[in-house]
Amino acid sequence: MSRSLLLGFLIYGLLLAGIATVRGEFIALALPLAIYLFAGFLFSPTAVNLEATRHLSAERASPGAEVTVTVTILNRGDSLDEVLIEDFLPADLTLRPSIGSGQRFGHTGHLIRLRKDSPFTFSYRVAGPRGGYGFESVRAQVNDYLRVTSRTVEVEAKGQLFIFPPVTRLRHVAIRPRRTRVYAGMIPVRVGGSGTEFFGVREYQPGDSPRAINWRASARHADADMLYANEFQQERAADVGVILDGRLRTNEFSRGHSLFEYSVQAAAALSDALLAQGNRVGLLVYAAFLRWTIPGYGKFQREKILFSLAHARPGGSDVFADLEHLPTRLFPPESQIILVSPLREDDLSPLVQLRARGYQVLIVCPNPVKFELSYLPKNKNVELAARVIRMERAILLQKIQRAGIQVLDWNVAEPFDQVVKRKLSRPPGFLRSMQ
Amino acid sequence: MTLVAFVLSVLLGTASLAYGFSQAGMTDPARWFVLLGIVWILAHWRKLYWVSSLAFAIMILGAAYGVWNNLATIWMLLGALGGLLGWDLSDFARRLSYAAPTDDIRGMERRHLARAGIVAALGFGLALLSLVIRINRLAFEVAVGLALLAALGLTRLVMRLMKY
Repeated sequence: MSRSLLLGFLIYGLLLAGIATVRGEFIALALPLAIYLFAGFLFSPTAVNLEATRHLSAERASPGAEVTVTVTILNRGDSLDEVLIEDFLPADLTLRPSIGSGQRFGHTGHLIRLRKDSPFTFSYRVAGPRGGYGFESVRAQVNDYLRVTSRTVEVEAKGQLFIFPPVTRLRHVAIRPRRTRVYAGMIPVRVGGSGTEFFGVREYQPGDSPRAINWRASARHADADMLYANEFQQERAADVGVILDGRLRTNEFSRGHSLFEYSVQAAAALSDALLAQGNRVGLLVYAAFLRWTIPGYGKFQREKILFSLAHARPGGSDVFADLEHLPTRLFPPESQIILVSPLREDDLSPLVQLRARGYQVLIVCPNPVKFELSYLPKNKNVELAARVIRMERAILLQKIQRAGIQVLDWNVAEPFDQVVKRKLSRPPGFLRSMQ
Repeated sequence: MTLVAFVLSVLLGTASLAYGFSQAGMTDPARWFVLLGIVWILAHWRKLYWVSSLAFAIMILGAAYGVWNNLATIWMLLGALGGLLGWDLSDFARRLSYAAPTDDIRGMERRHLARAGIVAALGFGLALLSLVIRINRLAFEVAVGLALLAALGLTRLVMRLMKY
């Protein structure tokens, strides 16, 4: 019941009692209440005209990083005796305690007096997990000083915060797609041309750089009166499709543990590295629904992929329960596909089909057995179960590898960049020559 | 500051009512009012703010009951006034709980207490005046007309306030 209504009932009751009994004492009892009601009405604000602006110290942040949100409220209307301001945080964002003794810092709620044309600014720090967060409005409850009248207004103060997944820097990711693009990149193709790796020696042709002349070979064939030039292996860019497996059944484990964050981290690191190498990269999040980021190059594409990864959530659906409905037409023929997935037994067939269609497939596989073992109690039953599952998994990975698919089995306890460096980076030139 | 004023208001209201009732030999209702005061303060301490509205209504009804039984009006009036101030301050304390520690809480408390005090004093003064001044020669029709006018004015006021 509103305060004015309660007061009204009581005043009415006393007035009626006074009239009915013809006794002024009842009216006298009602008078302080009536004065209170009247005073509240008299000093209630006639019009509320508030404006709000919001400023975020960073619109993009990494998980757990603190972002300072500053909100300024400006009163364009009459002076307001009592304004209760409440700024609501998007779900999952948490308020961080204030450090230092900054004025009006660290709280989302304020009770203030706002004079005409005067601003009020407050700030607070937030942090949160990976995701996209939208700030919509600030709620202001404007009261007269007795709160007989009260009105609540939502003042629009939009803001957006994207918390991107952490991007691990990978030095080099060696991929060998069957088909490359014509643009220069870092994937060596078995074609002579300009590059850094030695490819062969051929007859010197006008237009070749004098630096390319192989003087030793030319001297050996001096009788032929010909010069020979070194030829280098061309390095080109390729089409790469990164598929992030977000199926609940592959990512979620007992006691609320999930491998999905690791998969996201791997997808972000690989996309970043492959884009840095000049490739055209697209991202498909395969979860409750498909989220497709059209392939592109460069930093802009990196932002788009990170944006997509920030919003990626694991999900389950009957349609995308297995990899049968993987939309392969999204990826150019014979391009490189990188699937980031913990894998299940029934994923073998779709992956073999993918390989049979001519795609070069690399599977980055966060190891679910080691992950589960890391938090399960160590007893005989768990050990036995782990042994059985480990064997099943080894057989599955063997079958996949036999189909010509490269598998990177990743124990998530180990940093991703170290695993990639060990298994996916190009060995230095002197080592390659020895192989 | 607000908490002290709230406790004093509740004590003023319940003690006045209890004293007024006990003067007339009605000790049971007097005890009930003392108990009501204690429960109200405890409920406020436990942040059960809805108890304030209930306690306020009970105190006004209690004061009206006292007037009906010809008890000393001044104690009943003080009881109603204490209830009104307690109700106001309880709600103000609730609003203050939403304020950040860095807000000007002291200033707001000071202003609110001053204004609420003025309103209470004005109401009390007018109520006392209405008890002292008696118009003996007022025609019945005029009295009815004034009562209707008051009811109409009050209805308009409440309807206006309901919009907020």
